[in-house]
Parts: sequence; C-alpha cells; structure tokens
Amino acid sequence: MTTKTMTKDKISVAAVRRLSKRYNEPEWLRFARLMAWETFESLPWPTYKEETWRRTRLTGFKLEDYRLPAVDAALLPSRGALPEHLQQELAQIDSAGVLILQDGALIYRELDAALAQKGVIFTDLRGALAENVELVQVHLSALVRARENKFAALHYALWQNGAFLYVPRNVAIEKPLQVLIVQGEGLAGFHHSLLVGEENSEAVVVEDFVGSRQGMSDSVAEVFVHQSARMHYLRLQNLDKTAWNFATQRASVGRNALYRQLQASWGGKLSKVWIDLEMDEPGGHGELLGLYFPRDRQHLDHHTNQNHKEPRCTSDLLFKGALEDHARSVYQGMIHVMHGAQRTDAYQKNDNLILSDHARADSIPGLEIEADDVRCTHGATSAKVPEEYIFYLMARGLSRQTAKRMIVQGFFEEVINRVPVPGVRAKLETEIAHRVGIE
Amino acid sequence: MTATLEVKDLHASVEGKEILKGVNLTIRQGEVHALMGPNGSGKSTLGYVIAGHPHYEVTGGDILFNGESILDLAPDERAKLGIFLAFQYPVAIPGVSFANFLRAAVSSVRGYKDRAKEEMARTGQLREVGSELMPMREFRQELFEKMDRYNVDRAFARRYLNDGFSGGEKKRGEVLQMAMLEPKIAILDESDSGLDIDALRVVSDGINKLVAGGMGALLITHYQRILDYVKPEKVSVFYDGRVVLTGGPEVAEMLEEKGYGWIENHLAELAASPAQQ
Repeated sequence: MTTKTMTKDKISVAAVRRLSKRYNEPEWLRFARLMAWETFESLPWPTYKEETWRRTRLTGFKLEDYRLPAVDAALLPSRGALPEHLQQELAQIDSAGVLILQDGALIYRELDAALAQKGVIFTDLRGALAENVELVQVHLSALVRARENKFAALHYALWQNGAFLYVPRNVAIEKPLQVLIVQGEGLAGFHHSLLVGEENSEAVVVEDFVGSRQGMSDSVAEVFVHQSARMHYLRLQNLDKTAWNFATQRASVGRNALYRQLQASWGGKLSKVWIDLEMDEPGGHGELLGLYFPRDRQHLDHHTNQNHKEPRCTSDLLFKGALEDHARSVYQGMIHVMHGAQRTDAYQKNDNLILSDHARADSIPGLEIEADDVRCTHGATSAKVPEEYIFYLMARGLSRQTAKRMIVQGFFEEVINRVPVPGVRAKLETEIAHRVGIE
Repeated sequence: MTATLEVKDLHASVEGKEILKGVNLTIRQGEVHALMGPNGSGKSTLGYVIAGHPHYEVTGGDILFNGESILDLAPDERAKLGIFLAFQYPVAIPGVSFANFLRAAVSSVRGYKDRAKEEMARTGQLREVGSELMPMREFRQELFEKMDRYNVDRAFARRYLNDGFSGGEKKRGEVLQMAMLEPKIAILDESDSGLDIDALRVVSDGINKLVAGGMGALLITHYQRILDYVKPEKVSVFYDGRVVLTGGPEVAEMLEEKGYGWIENHLAELAASPAQQ
C-alpha cells in the first residue's frame, strides 16, 4: 500500500477547525467540536487528588508530542490489496462484516449483502454521517459527554472517524462484525465506536486496536442495546507498549436486553479505561469481562461502574489480570444501586495473579446501595502462583515453565470461556501463552 | 531390568525441624510394599521427599533409582525416570482441564517434548505448535481405553483438574494419571483415606492392575483396610521418622491386633535389632 506523505498537524483549536472544514462537516458538528475543545481547555489536567487518578499518574505525558494525521489513505478494493499482516488478522475470525480504519481513514470495508438488504448499517462514522446523519446525530455523544473527563472532551474535539453499527428491529447477525483500528507512529488517534442494537436485534462486534508506537489513543465507545436486544462487544486493546491509551466506554442496556462486553488489555505504556454499564430499564442483564496481562513497566488501569437505576436488572463483572516484571495494574469498580432499583442482582469480582516480586496489583471494589431489596456481591483477590500447584504438575513430569503456563492459562479460562467468538478465544489464548513464555 | 528405588539413611527437615531421621527402605518394580505408621510419623514427608518437593531439605543419606542418586533432580525429571507420587490431597487447579493437563504430562514423560526440542536444535527450524505433544487422536484413544479399564467416568476428561472433585473422584483421578504415565515405581500416599467401600474397591483394583503390569508400589497407609484389597509382599512400620520394622504381611496383621501402642512399647527392642531390608 502506498501512503501519501502527510502534513502533520499539531493539536490545537486551529486543528479542530481545520479538521471540521476538511470534512465539510455540518454546522452542529463543528459547533460541538469547538464546545468540546473549550471544555477540554477548561478542565484541569488530572491529579492524584481525584479518586480515579489516585493510583495512575500522567507523568511524562505531553499532548504536544503527538500529531494529527493530515491526509487520508485510500479505500482498498479487496482483501487481496491489504497488507499481508492485516489479511492474516482478518482470517482469524469468520465474520459477516469488516471495517479497517487507518489513522481515521476507512481503508477497507465488507458487509454481507443479505445484512445490508435487511437494513443493517455497518460503516465508518464518516460514512454514516454522510448517509445517515439523523441516526448519528441522535446517538453521538448521547451516552458519553465531552465534560465527562478531560480525555472525553479532547476526543469530542478531535475524533477523526470511528465504527458505526445500526442493527434494525428483529435482525439477528449471527457472525461477528470485525473492526480493525490501525494507528501510526507518533500520532494521536481518536476512534469513536457507536453501536446501536434496536429492539430484539442481535450482534457481536470485535474491535481490535493495534499500532500507535510512540503515539496516543483517546477513544470513546457508546453502545445502545434496546429492548430485548442482545449485543456482545469485544474490545481487544493490542496497542504498542510505548503508546498512551485513554478510553471512555458506556453502554445503555434496555428492558430485558442482554449486553456483554470484554475488555482485553495487552498494550500501552499507560492505559486508563473507564467502562460504565447503565442498567437503564427494568429486567436487563449486563456483563463486563476484563482481562489484562501487563509486563515490563506497563501500567494498566480499569475503572468500572455498574449503575442500576431500574428494578430487576442483573449485572455481572469479572476482571482477571496477571502481572509480570515491574508491571502495575489498578482495578477500581463500583456497583451503584439507586433508589427504586429493587431486586437488583449485581456481582463484581477482580482477581489478580502476581508473577513477579516487583509487580503490583491494586484492587478497589465498591458498593453503594440505596435500595433495600437487592443482592450484591463483590470481591477481589491477589495471589502468587501457589508453589503447591507447581509441585503437583511437576511431579507429573511437566517442566516448571509449562506448569506455570498451564496455571496462568487456567486462571484466565474463566473469562475466556465466556467469550462467544472462537477466533477471539484463540487469539486471547495465544497472547497469554506468548506472555507466559513458550519453551 | 527391574527398577529399584532405594532409600538409604535418609534425613530430611522442614524449616529446621527434622522429620525423617534415617529412613532405610527398598521398593522394587512389580512388588507392593506397605508402609504403615501412626499419623504424624512422617510417612507423607517421605513421599514428598522422594518426589522432590522443594519445601523439604535433605540433610543426610540418599535416594537411589537403579543405583543412581536422584537427589539433584527436579520433580519433573524424577517423574520422567518413572517415579510417581499419588497425593493424599491432590490440589485443584481451576481452568486446567484434566485431558489437557494429562496430555502435556504424558507427552513430557514419554519424551515427545524432548524429541521435538532435539529436532528443532538439529534442523534449526521452528517447530510447529503442538509438535511437542502426543498426537491428539492417539492420546484420546488411550485415555478413553484406560478410563474404561480403570472405572473412571469419561466426563473427567473435560473437567478441571480436581476442581470440585469429591474425595473419591480425586483418588480415582490419581489412579488414572498413574495408568497413563505408567511409572516404574509409585508412592501411594493414603490412597485409601476418605473412600467409601465402592471407591476403595475401584482404587484398589486399579493399583492391582498396575502392579500386575509391572509397577512397584509403596503403599503408605494408616489403616489395615486397603491391605484387604491390595496384598503387599512386604510391610514396613514407620515410627517417628524412621522404619522400625520390616517383614511380610504378618506384620500388618500383628499391627491390626496390637495397635501402634505396641510399637511404642517395644521401640527399644526394635532399635536393638535393626529393621531388616
């Protein structure tokens, strides 16, 4: 693939204006961007005095180190035109549709024709803006607001593109939809995921973030799961280990709907991810699964909220992490059961497996309950690999290394088991095996 | 050649406390040797030390397998020689399926892994994923055959290793592992404890089949009960960190009749006439 030379752009209000002008955006959007920029400027940089930033410092992060991509790469006509490694990446999952975004430009798209016929829209956010502006306007920034945090504000000022999915009423997409986000060296990426499942629809979305060497990623995801819909959203953060990663994600779960999200965090020098589950209507079920395995000096921080506003909802959270070398992880979670959310059943668990004397996992689970007829359970564990496990396996002829690998893989199995896409399970298992080390 | 495991004047301690105080014992392939003794006498420690548990420090004596010391070998290397320890309390390892674990273990013990490594070193080529493992089809066939032969439910294969297993299921699982790994010498640590009569029959039957196939067994037990099902050629009495008496099956009968108290009262005499090997 030939990439045109890019005139790179500094992050500033002028860049916001140029971006909006370049894409000939409607007035409301240009205005929203400028408002977001103002919000960004008005919010202070986070300090440890804020609870969510107490254990994660931005030391060394300088926004001026990153540039915006200036020229869009071209759309490619077929899989065969893609670079080899992207073709391989796509081949791992048997999907009904594909989007590949490179530095904000849509470079490849596929969608099963039968689904398009049924009214499924699966395209980049810019494409959706051109063809289905009302749908975008209704949903964009309806769940995650610019003022939410400094990084969300920056995102709304500068988002370049994203993934847009709209599944009409009663349409079930059986195979997963795949989104690949490729970010270039030294660049700032602002990917926006907007997923809408209408009543009684069904979809599985797999989103994979790669690249961003010496770069930064500041993404937002908004997921709407309407009444009786079933949505699975699997996010694989596979960025370079030199990247800074910030992500704000929120899903709204409708009446009797089912939502399941996986966050797998592999990459990033530092990663701060907020994941909120909004149980907005009665009878919904939400699951948040998390998996992280930092090594070297990686610092991975996940902050979750399970917000129960209406009665008879269930939510279930399981985050598991293993840590090598000098790595650090922070898990902070809260179950809020609001007044009136009777018969809520909420669960939250974070387990950590410490593989090195220098690694550290902080875990801060929490509950806030304002209703009286609820069942809420939470817990956190942090442990080293028990020597008794190692001895038992070695006594059966396994080497120490194989024994350790099996135990770590077994530790993550509880999460991987619940991932509905075989290709994703295989990718997760391979990544874990590589991290523990194959002899 | 008949494999022999010899324990010679073995001393071992944990956290500075001596548990084994000069153990002498010989176990031969094809033979059942019962080791009986009261709780807390150090019987289980002997099993752990033979298997190479890192928690115990050997402070004197030796353990020889076919005349060669195994003290410097890691537990997996001892397993590859053909030494097996059936645990009194097998640990549960969540997320690791019985079949996956056992395939890795069998592949290691039967040399698939070493051969794959040698091949890689010889050709300089990266080996294929899974080449270090026994072929799946062969493994499954053998596993199912042995599950049937040793009365283990086939559903075990998919379950997580000992996770949520009842006491009896754990012991059956240990017998199945032993049947798959085909050790020359097995140390069975209280394989009868916590079993109801049916489970005891199944476990004993498994041990008998393996012994008939040439395995040597050191049967560590507190009770006479299992000896009604597994007939030992030799019986040793273990007391306070050493073997104080070795004889034939009559020793077990005498213990059954007189109890461990008799041993305690006759320690001085037994010490004067060292245990016969």
